[in-house]
Amino acid sequence: MIVLVVWRMLTKLLRRTGRWLLLIPVAVIGTAVFVLNLWTASTVLLALLLAVLLALVLTGRRPANTAGLLPVSMLAAGICGLWTIASLAGKYGQVNVFTNWTAGVQRIAGPGRFTLPTPAGSGAHAFHTAPGGPPAGNFQAVVPRARVPNVVVRGYRVVPGHVLWSGRLLLLGSLLLLAIGLWLAPRAVADLREQYSRVPPRLRRWVREGNWGILLVPVTCFGLTVFGVRPWTIAVIVAAIVISIRWPRLAADLVPLVLVVFAVYGFMLVSRWVPGPRMGGPNLMPVRFGAVDVDSSSSSLLAGIEASMLLAFGAWLFPRTVGAHARRGASGQEAELAGRVQRLTETRDQAADAATAELRRIERDLHDGAQARLVALGMNLRALERMLPGGSPDAQALVAEARETSLRALNDLRHLIRGICPPVLADRGLAHAVQALALDTPLPVDVDVDLPGRLTAPVESACYFAIAEVLANAVKHAGARRVHIRIQHAARVLRIEVTDDGAGGANPAAGTGLRGVEQRLGTFDGIVAVSSPPGGPTIVAMEVPCALSSPKTCSC
Amino acid sequence: MRVVVAEDLFLLRDGLTRLLSAHGFQIAASVDTAPGLLQALLDQRPDVAVVDVRMPPGLADDGLQAALTARQQVPGLPVLLLSQYVEQLYARELLADQAGAVGYLLKDRVFNDDQFVDAIRTVAAGGTVMDSEVVSKLLGHRSHDEPMARLSGREREVLALMAEGRSNTAIAQQLFVTEKAVSKHTTSIFTKLGLAASEDDNRRVLAVLAYLNS
Repeated sequence: MIVLVVWRMLTKLLRRTGRWLLLIPVAVIGTAVFVLNLWTASTVLLALLLAVLLALVLTGRRPANTAGLLPVSMLAAGICGLWTIASLAGKYGQVNVFTNWTAGVQRIAGPGRFTLPTPAGSGAHAFHTAPGGPPAGNFQAVVPRARVPNVVVRGYRVVPGHVLWSGRLLLLGSLLLLAIGLWLAPRAVADLREQYSRVPPRLRRWVREGNWGILLVPVTCFGLTVFGVRPWTIAVIVAAIVISIRWPRLAADLVPLVLVVFAVYGFMLVSRWVPGPRMGGPNLMPVRFGAVDVDSSSSSLLAGIEASMLLAFGAWLFPRTVGAHARRGASGQEAELAGRVQRLTETRDQAADAATAELRRIERDLHDGAQARLVALGMNLRALERMLPGGSPDAQALVAEARETSLRALNDLRHLIRGICPPVLADRGLAHAVQALALDTPLPVDVDVDLPGRLTAPVESACYFAIAEVLANAVKHAGARRVHIRIQHAARVLRIEVTDDGAGGANPAAGTGLRGVEQRLGTFDGIVAVSSPPGGPTIVAMEVPCALSSPKTCSC
Repeated sequence: MRVVVAEDLFLLRDGLTRLLSAHGFQIAASVDTAPGLLQALLDQRPDVAVVDVRMPPGLADDGLQAALTARQQVPGLPVLLLSQYVEQLYARELLADQAGAVGYLLKDRVFNDDQFVDAIRTVAAGGTVMDSEVVSKLLGHRSHDEPMARLSGREREVLALMAEGRSNTAIAQQLFVTEKAVSKHTTSIFTKLGLAASEDDNRRVLAVLAYLNS
């Protein structure tokens, strides 16, 4: 009962705020993951800051649309969780101990090879404080760090006992997060793409120019795992944030360089463990590199793989960032032209939007104004007709004529409105409007529509009139007996296919109809292809790149 | 007879209520939004409702949707829809439940108040009234079909009037022929189209519309 009530409250809250609210538990889990990873509070703060920044950039300051980020954060949290577990795996019940009771730092035990006899922390304490050699037996690694003052223990290797079960919980949680994240991902990708079109142009330009530069901050954060949280590492990350915001292109150029530097450092670490004359000997301190603690030949192999991956990624990015910028820099005009194209595209979209909005406003004004008044006028004329004395046939005829005229005026208006903004299109969108069109056509027309949301008003209108034109051609010129219309939206492209079984032989260059269709769709970078061999069938295929909005957010 | 009037524009709402009162209808409620209409239909259970298709809050087909919702909850609730335009798609949705007691007319039809009031009474009595524009489009859509091609010119005229929801008497008056002649035509039409003949006017109209809509 209580569960039901809570569930109902939660779903109600979610509906009101959007799935955005789910980001909070995910953020909490993410924070827990980072804390488990023994990152400091400042790193967590930084991560949260980045998440908020990313959310703002991607959603154009619309919290309700942050839902698209949900699976991204779920995947990230899941991967982080698995990473943490991977770095904990095999560390339970064993510990790398370095003592300083003889000359300098001396390695006395390697992972897995050496175990101590005491079941709890106190025994370990007794052993470590007593100078001498290592005793034999089994050792449980429940060692509170405070109790072994004489022993240098690498912090994150000693895992407190309570982490043992929370580690298993973490594994479960991470897998769950990964599964949900993967399940949500396809929807979220579509969501994000769609939201990207709603991002303010200034931010969109930033993202486009920055491109790979967005990676600078996360890549720099990798340094935290190698060099630890120090004042200078934090300073470098802050600098990375500033650079990626202020000079996005420079940030993009820096990403492969930083990756290469890390890779080289990784190879240096690995080289110390290569057997041979330069082998480090017993006083080698373990060093962390990414997800791996380099403290043996086998772990150095893992670190080597990690470094190679970094190098490969850096090499892959190089031609896409530094190379591309160098090429573009050579012809400065190109950048200017690209900017101009961008600006023209934006203003063209705005003009189309404004024109459609204006047409819909005119339609609404006519409906509420002229049309309504004409109907009222007709009603009054009819009332007047009844009131007139029977003996004045001239007056009666005149009133009847006036009534006829208002009827014709209404008819004219109706045709006019159908031509500028078909009512079903404004009411219900393209899918229903095309179905209505099919019903009004004196031919059997099959309509097959797959449109999960609504298109923007200008595109909707252009596509509708394009289909109407092609359909009219099929009826008028091709002598078709059956027409098939297929509409689907996939990968940000609307595909319309009108097939008829008519005579074929349509020539797009000859008639004005198809050219009109081309012009209509051309405004939205749409294209028209006609296949019409003599004898048919004629296939008119149209493609318009456009985004879908969800049915609820549509403006008309 | 109790009527609910739903129209968002004051001018027309006022005109309609006056016209209906003048013809002896009792106005149970007059509303200007779709939710208001749904409420009034379910609370008042009027003998018939005269509803504008486009209404607030959506200013799209909200009136139609409210009427359809009400008819889902109260099957066969008589509703006559008025609109500045008629769409076959909407007519089809109205007819889909096969329950009858629906009408769909252009707003212009109120100019001829006698016919308009007749239409309301037909709907209230469980009949079906379709605008002649809907019917002519339906006929145009099926004009290439083989059974339709076998109808004579006069039979087509009778079929159109039948589909609009007219009774035999009204058809006879309109075409200046005897009722007997009309019933002969209807029998012939039903045979040619392969429909089961019915003496009941309402069922006859529904059968014809279902045939044309299929």
